Amino acid sequence: MTEDNVAHDAVVIERSFAAPVELLWRLWTEPEHFAAWYGPAGARVVVAKMDVRVGGARLVGMEVDTPGGPVRMWLVGEYREVAAHKRIVYTESLADAEGNALSLDERGMPHGHPTTTEVTVEFSDLDGRTKLVLTHVGIPADSPGAVGWAMALDKLAAHAGDQNTRQR
Amino acid sequence: MASVIDEDRLTETFAALANSTRRAILARLAEGEASVNELAEPFAMTLPAISKHIKVLERAGLVIRARRAQYRPCALDPAPLEEISTWAQRCRTEWESRLDRMDDYLARLAPRPGTDGHDD
Repeated sequence: MTEDNVAHDAVVIERSFAAPVELLWRLWTEPEHFAAWYGPAGARVVVAKMDVRVGGARLVGMEVDTPGGPVRMWLVGEYREVAAHKRIVYTESLADAEGNALSLDERGMPHGHPTTTEVTVEFSDLDGRTKLVLTHVGIPADSPGAVGWAMALDKLAAHAGDQNTRQR
Repeated sequence: MASVIDEDRLTETFAALANSTRRAILARLAEGEASVNELAEPFAMTLPAISKHIKVLERAGLVIRARRAQYRPCALDPAPLEEISTWAQRCRTEWESRLDRMDDYLARLAPRPGTDGHDD
């Protein structure tokens, strides 16, 4: 499978940073650090819960100033895999301030966001630098096999693309 | 942004794809249209069970049924997959700028040799 195929339906970003893996891990797992960079730009990030262990809860709020006053949105989720300095997997759904996931009707934003998404961050040490591979896929709440799902979808989309080209 | 995606439909697409039988059906249809009987062949499932899966795919807009023949062959409609792709592009842009900010934040934590460093 090519990188392009992956990018078609799951978001995969690979980057390296001039910092040791231990520090990068802290940026993702310590509320103070996480709130400092997560953003979006101009937003105040509030980490209400960050229980970094398998099954542990996370609840992150983002407050943005709008002409109508500050608007805060919350993302609730749980950690599915936690391997210190190596790999972290967590889910995200739009929620209220108490961490109750919102139904479709209650969600005002953003457009086209799947109900639940899963973020995987893989860290690897490159002689003091750190390579980070981030994968973000949309998954329905009841789907445990997000990776297999994304791969199947890749193939499918590639096929569909071929078919479209043939039909033209 | 002009390209507003129908959220409910996107969720329906994701839900429709959350099943391995339905993904296998779509993979088969990606090779060309097929009848329900043909689609049922590889599975140890009753025709009504397969029809149920096809209905879910139809509701999600991933499968269309031709009306011309009596057996109404199924065909793949890739449009909902393109919507997912639009979501993915937006998500990618968000992460790219997040990782930029992470890089800036790292620079503030520990100024790198060869850069001016920041005192804030």
